[in-house]
Amino acid sequence: MLISLNWIKDFVNLPELSPKEISSRFTLATAEVEDVIVKNDFLKKVLVVEVKSMKPHPDSDKLNLVTINYGAAETKEIVCGAQNVAVGLKVPYAQNGTTLPNGMTLEPKKIRGVLSEGMLCSETELGMSAESAGLMILDPKATPGTTMGEYLQADTDVLLDVDNKSLTHRPDLWGHLGLAREFAAAFNLPLKNPYNDSWTKKIEGTLTTGAAPIKVEVDPASSCLAYYGLSLSNIEVGETPAWIKNRLEAVGLRSINSIVDISNYVMTELGLPNHIFDRNKIAGDTLFIKKLNAETEFVTLDETSRKLTDSDTVIADKEKNLVLAGIMGGASASVDSNTKNIFIEVANWDAPEVRKTSVRLGLRTDSSQRFEKTLDSNLCYRTLLRLVELIREVCPNAKIEGSVSRYVREDKLSRELTFNIAHSLINSRLGMDIESSRIQGIFESLDFKTTLANGVFTVVVPTYRTTKDIYCDADLVEEIGRMIGYDNIKPVSPVMGIKPVRLDQKKVFHRKIQDFLVNHAKSLQVMTYPLIGKDLLTQAMWPVMNDDLVLVNALSVDHDRMRPSAIPHAIEMSATNHKNYDQFSFFELGRSYAGFEKEKSQLVIGLFSKKKSRFVELENIVEKLLSSLNISFNFAAPSNKFKNELVPSEWAGVHPHEFQNVQIMGKFLGALTTVHPLVLKNFKMKGFLSLAVIDLTDLESREQKDKVKYTPIAKFPSSSCDFTIVMKQETPAAEVLAALKPLKVKELKEKCIVDVFSLNESEKTVTIRTTFSNEEKTLTSEEIKNFEAQVIQVLEKAGFFLRK
Amino acid sequence: MQILESVVSDFKAELQTITKTPDLLNLKAKFLGKQGPISEVMKNLKDATVEEKRLIGARANEVKTAIEELFSAKMQEIELQEINEKLSKDKVDISLTDSVLDLGLQAAGFHPVTLVQQEIEDIFISMGFEVLDGPHIEDEFHNFEALNIPATHPARDMQDTFWFADKKHLLRTHTSTIQVRGMLERKPPFRFVGPGKVFRCERTDASHEMVFHQLEGMMVGENISVGNLIYFMKTLLTEIFKKEVEVRLRPGFFPFVEPGFELDIRCLICGGKGCSVCKQVGWVELLPCGMVHPNVLRAGNIDPEKYNGFAFGLGLDRLVMMKYGIDDIRHLHSGDLRFNSQFKSF
Repeated sequence: MLISLNWIKDFVNLPELSPKEISSRFTLATAEVEDVIVKNDFLKKVLVVEVKSMKPHPDSDKLNLVTINYGAAETKEIVCGAQNVAVGLKVPYAQNGTTLPNGMTLEPKKIRGVLSEGMLCSETELGMSAESAGLMILDPKATPGTTMGEYLQADTDVLLDVDNKSLTHRPDLWGHLGLAREFAAAFNLPLKNPYNDSWTKKIEGTLTTGAAPIKVEVDPASSCLAYYGLSLSNIEVGETPAWIKNRLEAVGLRSINSIVDISNYVMTELGLPNHIFDRNKIAGDTLFIKKLNAETEFVTLDETSRKLTDSDTVIADKEKNLVLAGIMGGASASVDSNTKNIFIEVANWDAPEVRKTSVRLGLRTDSSQRFEKTLDSNLCYRTLLRLVELIREVCPNAKIEGSVSRYVREDKLSRELTFNIAHSLINSRLGMDIESSRIQGIFESLDFKTTLANGVFTVVVPTYRTTKDIYCDADLVEEIGRMIGYDNIKPVSPVMGIKPVRLDQKKVFHRKIQDFLVNHAKSLQVMTYPLIGKDLLTQAMWPVMNDDLVLVNALSVDHDRMRPSAIPHAIEMSATNHKNYDQFSFFELGRSYAGFEKEKSQLVIGLFSKKKSRFVELENIVEKLLSSLNISFNFAAPSNKFKNELVPSEWAGVHPHEFQNVQIMGKFLGALTTVHPLVLKNFKMKGFLSLAVIDLTDLESREQKDKVKYTPIAKFPSSSCDFTIVMKQETPAAEVLAALKPLKVKELKEKCIVDVFSLNESEKTVTIRTTFSNEEKTLTSEEIKNFEAQVIQVLEKAGFFLRK
Repeated sequence: MQILESVVSDFKAELQTITKTPDLLNLKAKFLGKQGPISEVMKNLKDATVEEKRLIGARANEVKTAIEELFSAKMQEIELQEINEKLSKDKVDISLTDSVLDLGLQAAGFHPVTLVQQEIEDIFISMGFEVLDGPHIEDEFHNFEALNIPATHPARDMQDTFWFADKKHLLRTHTSTIQVRGMLERKPPFRFVGPGKVFRCERTDASHEMVFHQLEGMMVGENISVGNLIYFMKTLLTEIFKKEVEVRLRPGFFPFVEPGFELDIRCLICGGKGCSVCKQVGWVELLPCGMVHPNVLRAGNIDPEKYNGFAFGLGLDRLVMMKYGIDDIRHLHSGDLRFNSQFKSF
């Protein structure tokens, strides 16, 4: 929204400060000024002058030395190159220091040896036309010394641009009178409000009584909170006076015709939108303000057909809908250049209703964005009187017809609110000692009637601030704080009890994982979107589509639902990265979504290589990661009995050999797989991508116990025995160790594979080493022999035989 | 006696030619053995006088010791030479470190948001704040109603909310939802922060993302003042930027705080003189904050007559981008390792 400081000056004598200082004060007290625009400022320095005499430049054929009268006792001599210069002409003269619209700042300079003080200007140089031949010739009656600003009646103004969003909570600041009150309070100056009781009496005196030509019927079910109507005749629609036009244009409103411009002027001045009908275009003698109760098409003034629903409120005559209440009129009853008789509407509409309709239609107007803020119905009458005043000023022959129609929802009328707020509360909330007289002064400058007794202020807040803005003590504290200036409050440390604080389990857990994967697995942490689209899920051949977690207002089909797994993104980003790198390792600690209130904390680790599968490397990473997190687990083969939700067996990406379930506390909480080349093909990807996925949801909130238990170092020596077994090539070597599980020998301390040797295409030998010891004695050779025999027996039982 | 005098020099001369352990042992035997010159001298000593015996015996021992010392020194020399020869044979090429090998991308490190977030979390922990978290999929109560944003409130226009089909669930538009959950779970006095991802239905470009990160903070107690808020913000920002930061508050409207503020910091680039970064005003808008609205406290089961407090929201992505000079916010969720690898730990 643009604020015109000229307009503000109608109501408050702003101090002599630079536009920047004024905007800075407004920013600190009320709302941020995003831009300061100084309009036509340079015209103040360009003067009307009269050419008194001229002579040729001593050193040039084309230049003249021109003596000018610029309204002062003395004259000035200017070097001028224009051909049309002549004695007696009135022309514009830009003084030194003027910055012209082309960006040039005039400085004293010598032209061919003669000092020239400023410049006589053409229309082009003043930014008034694209090209011009010679000097701009002014009215012979113009007075030398007048500024061109005055001569052109050009509006020199300072405009402050304030973001509408920062005024969302201030319905009273959507007109210049309300804004002026803020300036008055911020600068501690009196507000000159011309619309006082005696003004009201004066305008009321011009009103008439008797039957009105247009009757108003308001349906209480409609969104109407107040409705004032008045008919006028003998209107002459014509050119708008320059002062109105200039102000409207300054705040960004286009001039249309005198009546429409007055309507907009009053809205921008007093903050309340209004509507003026061409009365002759109203069918019948009654306006109906009603809920539509049916769907219908309505063509708004911007010539767009809009679909209205049954809950929308309209203003209609007996035949047709005329206005979409509070938002925009239709073309059928609008004022045009032939309009003779008018009907003025000043109404107030229910803010949520206006907002609902406006949001649904995507139609935000100057009117709707004001009504949305919850305006004060008490201000309707003043607005009506101001419209009458201005219309009669512009159309002196205008005649008022009959009395004012009035409808007010008394039950929804904004009332003054009275607060009792302790002086100490204000000071304690702000953290600053403010004198009571200062507080009272601020309240009063905001038109809050205030008295002080026993350290408690009684504050009466006017109706235009109580529509929704001010309703509790904190709101009053804010009024004082912002006017004092928050930058005047000193930082103070609060007094707090001492309480030990540490990162919670989950954070510690996440940090451990991140640290491990960076420092041990040497991988890069990435983040991908929690949102996904059907296309990527299909491309990844993922079996779950999450159709119940689809957004209604997604920005694109590629991000229209919550992801069921982080795996598709991991494949997609690997496909992108494999164009740049032959090998890489990454992880994401993110979330997947299985439904409302079913957010999963999911870890994905990915190892990619163009040359070879890194599945075993991934197994080692997961083993060590889980071990570092004190989580006991085991790898388990694919199972038909138990489903692994993290990598469903029906997913085409599951590898036939390189796959492990991660079983934790009896549940499949993770899986490792090398992604099947079939899926990689969909991503035009060659190479080996191994992924691990772990559901951390149940693990991260478990208390992390330090499970380390010390046992004294063995005093007696241990004995190792190796066994070499012949087995089929396709049997996993580690199955030999698994086969030792039934062995019940407490002296068996360690077992591991020491060698795997390929015998031929179908067979290999696996050498395992077993280590035995006893804490209390040295083992005898008989005992060791006995253990060896038991090992062989168990192995043979499992189908593993020693090499002969 | 003359013989003894020449023995040491003879040994030294022969020692020069020895390079192998067996030869050295033979040489030692030759000089110190039973047939050696010293033994010869000692054998002949039985006919000498007592005085001669004393003199020659002592001299013989000296010579013996000298030879033994020369021997051990040579022995050590040969041993070292032999080990070094072996080491030379088993030499590895120490220039072939991972960094010169074709092993693909070897960088390892944290996401830049993690780096900044952890740093800020640690600052808050040090000031006695807990660190909380909450769900991404929220309901209207936690995202709006409990934060004093009823259905009809125009402030909902400011929130470009992603809604689910049931019209009840939504993606949190701010981490303020963590505030609500935090309040309901504890009794005052307390203070906590809540970092996390938030979602806005907003067209993406270099400076706008539909998914980004915020850090919410809240402190509730008795008689908390605007002055306390300023103190905390100033301390926090001085820690973050690692230099004294000047802050100012100006009015800002957010339904969940009253009074509400926009917090500006004195431009760190120009020091307040005015530059292109601060648009010539000398201040840069950094974060919204304010005194918690009584309605929000009530929604959190806290008596606003007894307790009050402040809250603030920090845009983490913006800090990350400022810190590293990142040109496009969309890189953060791209998974493009050309981006991520720049923040490597090693």
